[in-house]
Amino acid sequence: MMLSCRKFVMGLMFVMLAMILLACNNESASSDEVEGGNDEDQSMDVGEEDQEPFAFTIMANLHTPEVPAETVLEEIEQLTNTEIEIQWVPDNNYEDRLNTAFATNTLPEAVFLKNQSTFIQFRDAIQDGQFWELDPYLDQFENLQKLKDNVQDNTRVDGKLYTLYQGRPLSRQGIIYRKDWADYLGLEAPTTTEEFFEMARAFTEDDPNQSGSDNTFGITDRNDLIYGAFKTVASWFNTPNNWGEREGELLPEFMFDEYFETMEYFKALHENGYINQDFPVTSKVDQQEFFKNGSAGIYIGSMGDVVSIYSDAVTINPDVELDVHNYVEGPTGEYGIWSIPGYGNLVMFPKSSVETEEKLLKILGFFDQMMTPEVMNYAYWGIEDVHYEVIDGRALPVDDTALLDREVRPYQAIEVGEAETNGRYEGYFDYEPKAKSEDLFIDNENYLIEDPTVPLYSETFTRDGARLEQIITDATYQYILGQIDQAGFDAAVENWKSQGGQQIIDEFNENYSN
Amino acid sequence: MSSIVVPKLKAKKKLSAVDRKRRRSELWRRIKRNKMIYLMILPGIIYFLVYRYLPMYGLIISFQDYKPYLGITGSPWVGFTHFERLFTSPEFWTIFRNTLTLFALQIFVYFPIPIIISLMLNEVRHSLYKRGIQTLIYIPHFMSWVVIVSISFVMLTLDGGIINSVLESLGFAKINFLMSAEWFRPIYIIQVIWREAGWGTIVFLAAITAVDPQLYEAAKIDGANRFRQIWHITLPAIRSVIIVLLILKIGNVLELGFEHVYLLLNASNRNVGEIFDTYVYVAGLQQGQFSYSAAVGFFKGVVGLIMVVIANRLAKAFNEEGIY
Repeated sequence: MMLSCRKFVMGLMFVMLAMILLACNNESASSDEVEGGNDEDQSMDVGEEDQEPFAFTIMANLHTPEVPAETVLEEIEQLTNTEIEIQWVPDNNYEDRLNTAFATNTLPEAVFLKNQSTFIQFRDAIQDGQFWELDPYLDQFENLQKLKDNVQDNTRVDGKLYTLYQGRPLSRQGIIYRKDWADYLGLEAPTTTEEFFEMARAFTEDDPNQSGSDNTFGITDRNDLIYGAFKTVASWFNTPNNWGEREGELLPEFMFDEYFETMEYFKALHENGYINQDFPVTSKVDQQEFFKNGSAGIYIGSMGDVVSIYSDAVTINPDVELDVHNYVEGPTGEYGIWSIPGYGNLVMFPKSSVETEEKLLKILGFFDQMMTPEVMNYAYWGIEDVHYEVIDGRALPVDDTALLDREVRPYQAIEVGEAETNGRYEGYFDYEPKAKSEDLFIDNENYLIEDPTVPLYSETFTRDGARLEQIITDATYQYILGQIDQAGFDAAVENWKSQGGQQIIDEFNENYSN
Repeated sequence: MSSIVVPKLKAKKKLSAVDRKRRRSELWRRIKRNKMIYLMILPGIIYFLVYRYLPMYGLIISFQDYKPYLGITGSPWVGFTHFERLFTSPEFWTIFRNTLTLFALQIFVYFPIPIIISLMLNEVRHSLYKRGIQTLIYIPHFMSWVVIVSISFVMLTLDGGIINSVLESLGFAKINFLMSAEWFRPIYIIQVIWREAGWGTIVFLAAITAVDPQLYEAAKIDGANRFRQIWHITLPAIRSVIIVLLILKIGNVLELGFEHVYLLLNASNRNVGEIFDTYVYVAGLQQGQFSYSAAVGFFKGVVGLIMVVIANRLAKAFNEEGIY
């Protein structure tokens, strides 16, 4: 009895194991089938072309929650005779995936880098010759030559070009605020940091939404000292952009008094409750939510976000009115705004996956075609009359933001160049504040604070910069929250210096004076 | 502590060569006889080889200046440089202390709780009620840390979180739970208890059901009350289970839940919250220092191994079976 029972159990387990194995098998078999089917379709599509479509993979940042539908991509593929696979990586953990792929030697043929700091991290590998140098090839590509020289120069490593850039306005920073609240309280757009402080106070204390209770606050900020509010406000105080010159020496921004004044300013805002109390741990989504749902009245960041914020806010409160503004003077009576080096993202081509020159030329050929209005308009705006319409030679996206998020917006991540160079439509904005924000981007160019270290190189900064920066970021938050005093902050700066910061200063200055 | 006296184990005898040979052939015979069972263990062995032993090959990079494009075979050797950097870095002792503190919380605060809960559940008479509670307390285990931490965040935030709202309406000052060094550890361990305590009762409850009911009857006749029964029967009966689980727990000494801690970290609590796991992640994957973070991970593994060996020795010293 006992024995047969055991046998039964064992038999049962084997059957189960077999089933699991079979299931796995089936799954892979069926997905093979699907892939095979796709291949057939595609080869039929391009049957008339003489050349096989060139297949390659791009790794790019995904800014929407979901991987997009391929409608737009198919159009691009057809126009460029390619077969593109895009590895979408959520922007939030792009660095991890990038480093992991690099460490395991599995980078695809074309790799977008995310931003300037990831580019700096890869500098070592670039110098080691892991990526294709592009200078010798660009003259074969008419459209790629249009890329701006001054921006390209910002991405050179030892004078050589390895990347194609994705253009961005030099500075999009400014404030978005509740116009209806300001009107009700009789406030004008703030032009000095004092007026700004007053606006934050009034939005908190003077019941701007006429609810009769104390349920609003001034500024909504998030866990980001750079793209959140801090760096922009620091610019108003004329703090240098990352690095600044004092008595002929380059020093990091946090060694300047202006940086300290900015911290004091934020500390006052925080103490008085004019800013969300948990801002150092608030996500971007939550930050915007405070603004959209009418809890907060001021948002500091990219002014272009006014469209997406408005379209959500108006569903909650149809009477909401927004406006954008850039010019805020600091105590010195001067307005300044930090700038980026003209690119948002960069794309590089690893030698490990692009084995031959021939393959590189094909990929560059693709990006060359991308830089024509015909192709780029697909990537940026989608399909005409489905995703956008053309008014006065400009593109007006349809109102259905969900559709755009699903089918178009993600592909903007593979743009190279900018409207000026790749010829795509500029945007047509029927929402007035958005049009204004575009003008303010241009206005900002008169007041730029540039980062003097962009063309410089420091080995220690490349290796330890990110880790060391954390010391300062943490100390800055702690100071604003009142958890450390000036002595504590100075100690953090000393700590930064002793762990390699002094070396960074020396290395940058050695480069700088040369 | 217990009233059951376990006879002392006899010291191991040295085996003679003949004995050993005989034993080996007997082992083979047993394997042949139970070949089905050994076959079934095979996937497990393969799993450990492939996922636990093969990756150890990668530890080599902690002695190298690893460059991905040169690979393990091509990267230059640097000896103990990365270990030196770790041991001399000012962060090392902070991280070490934080790791051990969270570990101690796990052992001394979290570990007894599933035992207490299972003893309590065992005393519940109404079986439907008992099973209902069991199911309810299992649920949090199936939520990811992201969910647990997000829920806590919504409750604890200063900007409209329910706990601070209640505190405020009762006339107390708001407490900055999220951005404080003092609250990090309590929040950590409460979340661990919240998520895992219910799930942790399973093994103990199973062990308790195996206790012979006659023992309870006998104790009742002798006049033992419920508390006495727990103390003298239930607890001693599950003692070996408790010890095995404790050893396993100690083996995971440095697995304090990377995801969990990483989600909780911020500028104000990094000093008490940064542990080896989060440090490895930040240094290795976010900042691309592959060799250095491999060295940190290696060190962590060695500490874990030492802890298991010590715990096992201790268990044997108390005449329990241990895990090997």
